[in-house]
Amino acid sequence: MKVVKINAIWCSGCLIMNKVWNNILKKYDIETIELDIDMDEEEVEKYNPGKILPVFIVFNDDKELLRITGEIKEEEMIKKLKGVCELHEKDI
Amino acid sequence: MIYLDYSATTPVNEEVINTYSKVCREYIGNPNSLHKLGVEAKKLIDASTLQIAKILGVKTSEIIYTSGSSESNNLAIKGVCSKYSNRGKHIITTELEHSSVIAPISFLQKQGFEVDFVELDENGLVDLDDLKNKLRDDTILVSICAINSEVGVKQDLKAISDIIRTNPKTFFHSDVTQLIGKDKVDLSMLDLASISGQKFYGMKGIGALIKREGLVIDPLIHGGKSTTVFRSGTPATPLIVSLAKALRLAYENYEEKYNKVVELNKYLIDKLSKLDISINSNEYCLPHIVNLSIKNIKPETMQHALEEYDIYISTQTACSKGEYSKAVYAVTRDKDKATHSIRISLSYLTTYEELDKFIEIFSKLLDSLNIRGE
Repeated sequence: MKVVKINAIWCSGCLIMNKVWNNILKKYDIETIELDIDMDEEEVEKYNPGKILPVFIVFNDDKELLRITGEIKEEEMIKKLKGVCELHEKDI
Repeated sequence: MIYLDYSATTPVNEEVINTYSKVCREYIGNPNSLHKLGVEAKKLIDASTLQIAKILGVKTSEIIYTSGSSESNNLAIKGVCSKYSNRGKHIITTELEHSSVIAPISFLQKQGFEVDFVELDENGLVDLDDLKNKLRDDTILVSICAINSEVGVKQDLKAISDIIRTNPKTFFHSDVTQLIGKDKVDLSMLDLASISGQKFYGMKGIGALIKREGLVIDPLIHGGKSTTVFRSGTPATPLIVSLAKALRLAYENYEEKYNKVVELNKYLIDKLSKLDISINSNEYCLPHIVNLSIKNIKPETMQHALEEYDIYISTQTACSKGEYSKAVYAVTRDKDKATHSIRISLSYLTTYEELDKFIEIFSKLLDSLNIRGE
């Protein structure tokens, strides 16, 4: 499983979701590719991110399984992720 | 032309342009040079700084000239956080801030700073109890704008400052860009305040960070002492003098100008309320800004349609793009309204005839674009 996370440095929702995502990464092993909507324009275009940021696109073997946009709570995010794939907890 | 985008930028006052040209022609010396031409330029800058300080009620040593509010916001936020990170790494801000506040805070988040957003009430005002709760021993900076540039919500800076002052380690920065030149502001309750000349009929490319005396911050631009050690570079004499001129002119009869905008605002809102739109600006907003949401029409479509009639308004602030408006969402809790908002911004230069013409065209466009499903 791989997550493409599309952000913008000027977006307050992205700032809020950075905290949420970092908390999730402390608990689970998830490969994340971070893209900036302005700095990585060409790469971002491939994903057609739409208007609401940030965008989390969940892939399994290059197949898009799920797309989460905007601000959501950590528990809700984990629930959505668990709905499409198995999350591996980190060894503490 | 009907210009209704004064919060994005203002046309430069002719007197300001004349001052700028005159100083460009007649004061060619580098103010840091020791010869006569340099000394003359330096004297002119000092006189301008004194004038700005008197108008704003601050000390001359508290003025740092910058290229505008984006630089001032960056300097305040990164300057404090770089200097005082040993005291703590916690920042508090709001979702109403300009992108030039959010972006440096995002940058600092990547450097290990923790960021909290203070809750807003249904009017878009900072929830003071939530601010009290979020303020921690390691909070080194609170950055809250005086006026949100999209909706116009005016924060109670005094009440916010009183809470922040309970923690002596926390500095209070406010982006007062949309307020300076329109109304008087007591800057003594702030540690840092960002201002920009282009919002009060001054030149683009000049602004200032007002920094409380005694507060030391790390500069963004290192290069030794200029007008201040906090921002190096050859002082832009013509721009600095023009800033003082613009500020002086902005505050001439400012109460009369403000009251005129209050009346224009009432007139516009009365006319708009008869149309099939919803007004997002509320009683806590600066009268210069009227934010509204249109149904079933993309804001950009309306903006360009108005442009065809030589009428200029804005969608989201010129410096953000893509996302729905966080500020509109804060006062409406409605994502549809937050993605369909436009901003009309007024000036004392606006006329009732301009507003009548705008309403006439806007009303026609609401019907025609709606029918075409745009």
